[in-house]
Amino acid sequence: MDAVDVSEHYEVTAADNSPSLLSIVLDTNPRAWAALDSSLSLAQAISNILVFVNAHLAFSNANQVAVIAAHVNRAVWLYPALQRTPSSTAPTKDSSGDVQMQDASSEANPPPPPSANKYPQFAQIESSVFSSLQTLMAETTVQDLDQLTTQLSGALTLALCRINKAAQALSSSDTTLSNAAPVNATAPPPVKGRIVVISVSDSDPSQYIPTMNAVFAAAHNQVAIDTIALAGDSTFLQQACFNTNGIFLKAANPRGLLTYLMFGLIPDTEARASLITPTHDTVDFRTACFCHGRVVDTGYVCSVCLSIFCSPPENAECLTCGTVLALGNYGAKPAVLPRKKKKKKKIANGSGREETGSATGTPRP
Amino acid sequence: MADSDGEFVADDMSDDDIMDHTVTDGDPSAARPKGPKPPRKKRDRNGGSKAWEQSRRTWETDLPEESDGMLNLAGYEAERRRRLLRDTTPLQRGIIRHLVLVLDMSFAMAEKDLLPTRYRLALSYAAAFVREYFEQNPISQLAIVGMRDGVALRVSDMGGNPAEHLERLREYEGQDPSGNPSLQNALEMCRGALFHAPSHGTREVLIIYGALLSSDPGDIHDTINNLVAERIRVSVVGLSAQVAICAELCSRTNVGDDSQYNVAMDETHFKELFLALTTPPVNRTKEQSTSSLLMMGFPSRTLAPGGTTSYCACHSQPCREGYLCTRCGVKVCRLPSECPACGLTLILSTHLARSYHHLFPLRNWVEVPWSEAARSSACFSCQSPFPEPPPPKANKEKGKDEAPAKAPAKGVSESGRYKCQVCDSHFCIDCDVFAHMVVHNCPGCQSRPQAAAAPVTDGVEANGNGHTNGGMMAIDG
Repeated sequence: MDAVDVSEHYEVTAADNSPSLLSIVLDTNPRAWAALDSSLSLAQAISNILVFVNAHLAFSNANQVAVIAAHVNRAVWLYPALQRTPSSTAPTKDSSGDVQMQDASSEANPPPPPSANKYPQFAQIESSVFSSLQTLMAETTVQDLDQLTTQLSGALTLALCRINKAAQALSSSDTTLSNAAPVNATAPPPVKGRIVVISVSDSDPSQYIPTMNAVFAAAHNQVAIDTIALAGDSTFLQQACFNTNGIFLKAANPRGLLTYLMFGLIPDTEARASLITPTHDTVDFRTACFCHGRVVDTGYVCSVCLSIFCSPPENAECLTCGTVLALGNYGAKPAVLPRKKKKKKKIANGSGREETGSATGTPRP
Repeated sequence: MADSDGEFVADDMSDDDIMDHTVTDGDPSAARPKGPKPPRKKRDRNGGSKAWEQSRRTWETDLPEESDGMLNLAGYEAERRRRLLRDTTPLQRGIIRHLVLVLDMSFAMAEKDLLPTRYRLALSYAAAFVREYFEQNPISQLAIVGMRDGVALRVSDMGGNPAEHLERLREYEGQDPSGNPSLQNALEMCRGALFHAPSHGTREVLIIYGALLSSDPGDIHDTINNLVAERIRVSVVGLSAQVAICAELCSRTNVGDDSQYNVAMDETHFKELFLALTTPPVNRTKEQSTSSLLMMGFPSRTLAPGGTTSYCACHSQPCREGYLCTRCGVKVCRLPSECPACGLTLILSTHLARSYHHLFPLRNWVEVPWSEAARSSACFSCQSPFPEPPPPKANKEKGKDEAPAKAPAKGVSESGRYKCQVCDSHFCIDCDVFAHMVVHNCPGCQSRPQAAAAPVTDGVEANGNGHTNGGMMAIDG
C-alpha cells in the first residue's frame, strides 16, 4: 500500500505509525448502571466514551476502534455491528442471480444525512453504537435483570479475535503461519492492540477459567487489558491487568469518567513505555476454593486436575476428577505440625542465620 | 532407499503429496527408512541441489493456480487446519512436570543440513522451547544437559525460572560442537537429576539427537532398565536418521508407545516436533500417575509500606513489592517458588489456570457445507465477511465439478466457514486457528445467552467436569 506513494516523507510516517486497535468492552449490566445513575448515567458514559474513541481515532489515520458490550448474559458487537439487514436482503439478490443495485438509504435503518460539521467516521461509530445498544436493551428481558455479573469472558474473546484478525491482515502470510505454531514471543506485533474494559459489576466466579484463558491469550499476543472500574468488585480484571501489563484504575468519582479515560488510558502500548502510568500497588491473588467457594490464601491442590480445596476432601478423593489422592506428608495436617516446630527452632536460631547471610554478603564487594 | 531430508521435500510435490507426507510424521519409520549416513552426506555435497536452493515452504511457493488464474488457497488452509485438528478427548495429563532437556553437542551437530547449522538451530529452538515450556507449564521444572566429548555436560540445574535457563543456554551459543555423544552418560545424569522429583510429578527426558552413534562406557540396556524402574519417560527428536537404540529407548520407557521417537525432516518439522513436547504428556498407566494432594499458598502482591524497600528471602535483593508467604510471612520476589523459610509451594492462582486448557480442551470445529452456509454472512467473532453461497440453481452442477477438486484438501470447509458444534456459530479460518491455538475459548459459547449455554458448556467452564465433556468429545473424533 505504502509503495503506491513513493514520496519519502510518507514512508517515514508510515513506518513510525503502526496502527493501534483500541477495543472497548463496555459493561452494560442494567442493574449496576441503575445504581450508578445518580452520579453517571449510561447515556453520559457513552457520550464520554465516544469522545475518547474520537480522540483515539484522531491520533492517526491508521487507528481502528471496536466497541463491544458485555451484557448480563451475552456479549454483543456495538461497533462494527453485526449486520442483520444485509443477511435479510441477501435472498432478494439471489432471486435474479444478479446483484440488485439498491440504494443504501432504502434499507430498513436509513442513516441520518451526514452532518457537515462532523467527521464521517465519528458519526458512523456514533450511530452504530447507539442503534446496537438500543436493540440490545430492547432484547433484554426482565429475568436478565436479576444477574449482577456480565459476560466478560465472551467480550474479551471477541475483542481478541478482532485484534488477531487485524494483526493477520497487516502481516505477511508466512508470519501468520509461524504465529499459528505458538512461537516468536519476542517479535513486536504488527498492530498495537489493547482492550479497555469499563467495568461496573462484579466478576462472575463461573467465568474464571474462560476469562483467564482470554487473559493469557492477550498476554501471549502482547495485548494490554486496561480497566476502569466505576463500581463493583472486579478481581479478575485486576489480575488481567497485572498479567498483561495493563492499567487498572479504580474510579473513585465516576462522574469524571472522561477525565480518567483521557488522562489515564489514552496512551497506546508503545507510548506507555516512556510514560509513568498508574500502578497497582496491591493485587489480590487469592483464589476461591472449588468445594465451598471460600476465598483462601493457603489451599490444597489436586495434582491431577489442579482443583483447589480449602481442606483435604473427604476420603481423600478429589471432588472434581474423582481420583484418590495420596495425602502425603506434604498436604496432611499432622505432617505440617512437626515442620512448624522445626521452623520455630530456626527462628530461635534466626539471628545466627542472619549473621551468616551478611557474612557471606560483605566480602563480595 | 536412503532418502533423506534434501530429496524429501521436493519442489514439484503437489499439495496432495505434502498432506500425505506430513500426515505420516507420527510414524517416521514408515516415512523414513533407516539410512546409513555416509551416502546421505555424499548426496548433499555432490548430487542435486543444495538444501538452501530448495524451497522448504512448499505450501507457500507451490500454490496451484486454478484455471482462471486465481490461486487455490485450499492447500494453505489445509495445512493450517491440520495443525490444529487434534484429539480433543480430555485425557489425564501430568501437569506438574520435571523434564530434562538433553542437547546433542557432538560433532554431528556441526552439519549444515539444517540452517545455519544443526547446533545453532537446536540452541535457538531450545530457547523457544524453554519459553514455551514455562508458558504452558508454569508450575513445572526444567533442567538442561548437553552431550559433548563423550561425557554429559550440565548446562543448567533443575529449576523453574526460564530466565536462568536462557542465560545458561546463551553461554553455549559461541562454543562449537565437538567429540562423540554419549547417550548412556546423559541418561545417567538425567536419572540423577530426576531422582528427587516428587512422585506426583512426571519425570521426563527429551533428547535432541543429531548423531547416529553413541559412545557409551557400559551397557545402555541396563540404563534403560533403570529408567523404566524409575518411571522416567524418554522422548527423542532425531536430526539425521532413525537409530534403533533410540527407538527401543522410547518405546521401553513409554509403555510400548513408539510415537515418542521422531526424526525431523526440515527446519519447520524440527521446530514442530520440538515444541510439541511442551504439551503435558498423557498418563498411560497407574504407576505414571501417582496423584497426591499438595499444599500450596496463594500470596497476594503487596507493596512495602511507606515506599520503603526490604530484602527478599529468595535472592537477598532489595525490592519494593513482593509476595508474603501465607504460612510464615517471609517475603519472596517472584512466583512460582518455594518458600525459603518453611518450604511451602507459593504460586499464583493464574499459574494453575494456565494449565486448565490442557485438561479441558476446546473441541474441534467442523466444516460447514454450502447447504448450511446461507445463514451467516460474516464471521461471528471478527466480523469479516464470508464468501456468498453460490446461487441455488447452479448448485447441483457446480457441486459435481467441485467435489473432486475439493476432496484432497481434507479438513477445509468449502464455504470458508467453521462451526462450533455446541453453539452453532460460524467462524472464519483465522478465528478457528486463533481460538484453538491461543485462546482455548469458543467466542460463540462465551458470548451467547447463558441460559442456553448452561447445559452444554464448551469444556472450559469452571464447573465443567471432565466426565460430561469426555462423552461429548468422544463423538468428535
